[in-house]
Amino acid sequence: MPTLFEVQRALQRSLVERDGEEAAAYILFDGLAPGARLHIYRNTSIGALTIALRLSYPAVHRLVGAEFFYGAAKIFIKTEPPRSAHLDEYGAAFPDFLAGFSPAASLAYLSGVARLEWALSRALHAPDAAALDMSRLFVAGAADHGRIVFVPHPSIGFIQADYPVDAIWRAVLAQDDAAMAAIDLGSGPVWLLVQRLETGVDVMRISKREWRFATQLCSGRPLQAALDMAPGLGAATVLAGHFAAGRFIGYRLETAP
Amino acid sequence: MRAGRCAERAERGSILAGAGVGLRFRHHQAVIDSKPPLPWFEVHTENYMGGGAALRDLDAIRRDYAISLHGVGLSLGSAEGLDPDHLARILRVAERVEPALVSEHLSWSISGGVYLADLLPLPLTEEALATVCRHVDQTQNFLRRQILVENPSSYLRFRHSMIPEWEFLAALAVRTGCAILCDVNNIYVSAANHGWQASEYLAALPPSAIGEIHLAGHSVRQLDGGLTLRIDDHGSRVIAGVWQLYSDALSRFGPVATLIEWDTNVPPLEILLDEAARANSFLESARSGFAHADAV
Repeated sequence: MPTLFEVQRALQRSLVERDGEEAAAYILFDGLAPGARLHIYRNTSIGALTIALRLSYPAVHRLVGAEFFYGAAKIFIKTEPPRSAHLDEYGAAFPDFLAGFSPAASLAYLSGVARLEWALSRALHAPDAAALDMSRLFVAGAADHGRIVFVPHPSIGFIQADYPVDAIWRAVLAQDDAAMAAIDLGSGPVWLLVQRLETGVDVMRISKREWRFATQLCSGRPLQAALDMAPGLGAATVLAGHFAAGRFIGYRLETAP
Repeated sequence: MRAGRCAERAERGSILAGAGVGLRFRHHQAVIDSKPPLPWFEVHTENYMGGGAALRDLDAIRRDYAISLHGVGLSLGSAEGLDPDHLARILRVAERVEPALVSEHLSWSISGGVYLADLLPLPLTEEALATVCRHVDQTQNFLRRQILVENPSSYLRFRHSMIPEWEFLAALAVRTGCAILCDVNNIYVSAANHGWQASEYLAALPPSAIGEIHLAGHSVRQLDGGLTLRIDDHGSRVIAGVWQLYSDALSRFGPVATLIEWDTNVPPLEILLDEAARANSFLESARSGFAHADAV
């Protein structure tokens, strides 16, 4: 008699890798081939995971069409099946997969749009966190301000793309053909900031210098070091903007090395 | 005696023995705006593990309604143990939502670290029973509360299964003290697919352990060779045969909190409320001690 472990590994291989011979040997025929019975579960599984991907990548879905999306998802699911039952977190590797997926090569901006959509999906599901009250910063003496390391809101994400993927994303989801036609794919790279606001998730286009400053601040670099890397930015105004938009939820002081 | 048991059940779950509906994102706003006359809603635990609008809506809805958390991802039957991160996520949602009921499935979904996104059937053996019992104990200890375990719909059986599913479920309830979420549609579907007697299934379940009933629609697939397979897709109204079986279940169990599930091609909220009203008419009959099939 096979162990529970053996049975489950065999079914897993059948559903994901489509290697069903061992699993079929454990299953009663009962009027329908075991392979056909396993296929019912495989279909449900692929269907549920494709829906999870479609919910995270609605613009990619529209750009390539349902049939193409389903075909790509099926291959992706086989190579990168989910590692946990928390499906909001499933599909982080889909943009990289699309970048290397030759049937999609003619849509050069597709993986960039996917990267933006993943940042938006992450922002949508990120945990709630209260914004840092600026008055709390004054607890730190002025001499310490350069050592402040901000904790970013968990919904914050940064995207850099070679194409205007934010404009493409908006036009595709609005099904706005005129806006889509007006997009100049040669207009150069974009630097984007993604965040969840009270009203929903949002993507903002910012300058390259603002983007670099913000990514430094949000990746654990102390304030003075980030400022040193962004001369002439008008950092006071930019920082005030980050505070007003609730992009930080806390801070600590860097300890001397 | 029946009234005593029901009072105990209502107190235990603080969900009245009335009909609720499964809450889906597309109905959040309609529920908040129109406050439909229902005692409770059930949500999928996995849909509220993040923050943002979904959780904010649920906070608003739970001010007016009892909430039941129904998980689909814990994989109680996994030979390789429970995912501690997932268990922790469930606890976090439960602490936030303060649900009246917490339920999961008699199935498995994870093997080799891969989540299969479906509720797979177990070989019904002593080994599997011991595994599920261990995981239900672990879950109840971790969440510090009783959980309900639901019977699945299934489309295959294992050659080496030794225990009838109804006996497996009853033994699980006895050994762990968990309650049973009796999905009447799943009994109907599995009985049709495997040639079981639905009445025998119901008769084997201990009435005192039944904490909730699920009702849903399913589809019928004609296969080559004249074989018919029933698929539990939660995409239509409850069929007459399932209402009949529900009536039988209430005759045996007494009035039990009942849920209308609808997950694919989700219709306007009014349709769900209409199904819940129908379930309520059966519950009324059961309450007055005259549960009978004539209402169908």
